[in-house]
Amino acid sequence: MSQIVTLEQLKQTLGAKLAAGAKVVAPVLDGEFASFKEIADVEQASFVPRICMQNSIEEFFFPKHETIFTFVRQGNDVVLNDAPDFDVEQIVVGARPCDAAALPVLDPLFAWDYDDRFYQRRRAKSTVVSFACTQSDAHCFCTAVGGSPENTHGADAILFDLGDGSFEVRAITDKGKALFDGKTTESDKVGKACDAPVVNFDVWKIADWIRANFDSPVWEQVSLRCVGCGTCAYVCPTCHCFDIVDEGSYKKGKRVKNWDSCQDAMFTMHASGHNPRDTQGKRQRQRLTHKFVIYPDKFKFYLCTGCGSCSRSCAQMFGVRPCLEALDKEVQ
Amino acid sequence: MENIYKPDLMEVVKVKQETGDVKRVRIRFKDPEKAKQFSFNVGQFGIFSVFGVGESVFNICCSNSHQNEYFEFCFRKVGRVTERMWDVEPGDTIGFRGPFGNSYPIKEWEGKNLVFVAGGIAMPPIRCAIQYCLENRDKYGKITIVYGARTYGDLVCRTELDEWAKYPNVDVLKTVDIAPAEEIEWDGRVDFVPTVLKDSNVSGENAIALVVGPPIMIKLSLPILSENGFKDEDIFTSLENRMKCGLGKCGRCNCGSVYVCKEGPVFTQADIKNMPDDY
Repeated sequence: MSQIVTLEQLKQTLGAKLAAGAKVVAPVLDGEFASFKEIADVEQASFVPRICMQNSIEEFFFPKHETIFTFVRQGNDVVLNDAPDFDVEQIVVGARPCDAAALPVLDPLFAWDYDDRFYQRRRAKSTVVSFACTQSDAHCFCTAVGGSPENTHGADAILFDLGDGSFEVRAITDKGKALFDGKTTESDKVGKACDAPVVNFDVWKIADWIRANFDSPVWEQVSLRCVGCGTCAYVCPTCHCFDIVDEGSYKKGKRVKNWDSCQDAMFTMHASGHNPRDTQGKRQRQRLTHKFVIYPDKFKFYLCTGCGSCSRSCAQMFGVRPCLEALDKEVQ
Repeated sequence: MENIYKPDLMEVVKVKQETGDVKRVRIRFKDPEKAKQFSFNVGQFGIFSVFGVGESVFNICCSNSHQNEYFEFCFRKVGRVTERMWDVEPGDTIGFRGPFGNSYPIKEWEGKNLVFVAGGIAMPPIRCAIQYCLENRDKYGKITIVYGARTYGDLVCRTELDEWAKYPNVDVLKTVDIAPAEEIEWDGRVDFVPTVLKDSNVSGENAIALVVGPPIMIKLSLPILSENGFKDEDIFTSLENRMKCGLGKCGRCNCGSVYVCKEGPVFTQADIKNMPDDY
């Protein structure tokens, strides 16, 4: 027997959480575009499984722009005020399986020797409910990196759209069970995800090629299309490179973490003017190496969930999958 | 849980102008408890900040013999943060995070001859090791310091070089690329660092070399050291990739899978040969 929740029950569950002061994040339609947003009312949300999103859920765990502390100068002294802890319950609903899968990938990074309390607090306070995919497109390649349309990695519960205004609920963790406790009814209907996207390349082999071909001219060739805008990094659920800058004045202000992109020419520029990654090819090499060699070396995960957001959002129709496909030609 | 990005507040104790665009700043913790607990190893770096302007990464440029009282860093006025750092005066408050990274295995160097090779603004990351070794003079063999800068005015620690030369069994070979004006009393060479290093004939026998400087200086110095018998694992350097967090998270200082902020900044030539050329 499966557990079913109707759309009405789902809305009521989330509405009750909102009323209790929780933060609820869900897909919101804005014209033809959908993005994950914090909602004030369940009616703002669109509970339709989607693969094409304007952002990922990452920013609700690792915000684009986050205050680390504020400061005030008092004579020769400086007073620092810590940014407040993230202290409310957060429900992220409607995540793609490839969005949710990014969280366990990021966990070890933010706990590597130094605990990043900003990320860890948000993570501890959050419940993630994903939607099993009902379609895939030419950008999807989750299957190449160990994912699938019904992958539950990182999700506390996964919902399968039954197409009749109800969802099959599969609770994965205690948090997921608690969220839907008493909200579901038993049924013999069983949800089904779409077929897995087909990929014709082997990431494992490509990673070996990357390891051995640091100086290959292929890097410059494949990245000729790239204009270095950084969009791929900003829509990526796993990209986490950031900058630390001060805002305000000499007298008072704040220090913030901002998302950054390795595709930006200034990313590694030394004060002397020397830049180890002074061409787009070298920067693209870093991006792919980080995702498929460096991160697995350090944390045993690919820094990629195969969501395809990078190539879906790229003005040049580039991104991780097209790059992997280009590199695959070199492997053979 | 602690806020790992929040710096400690430091009081500026002393500022010394080293050259036209380099200053050395001595700082101490404002919180005496923190000062008591603080320790670092020679070769580690810190992240220093002017509140409202931003953070910059510098080596801790002094030995750790006074680590609970004060420590020092050097910087060249070259960007937004350092322009503002130039204006700090004793009594001012700045921020510090650290110490970060690995350090020179200076205990393992005991009983060996040491060769320090530095160019320009790379003297500070070597100065800490020189200071340490001179404070523990009897533990180390012959010390050779080869230091050069573009001009006489660009020599960091110029007066200290003469102090160091007074220690027993210490050779200080200083050089400038461009001959100083006649009215300047210059008792050093007018040559490039690698040439002076070659002429010094230092032997790699029971010796360690620490080479920090501009890429071209390092590139030309390494073959000379190899010819003189230095093994790759006996040649050390300190890499200076751009960093933001110092904690292995912000994702920019890596050379392949090696994070310079955590696994470096100190590497041997043997390490570097196994790393992609991304520095």
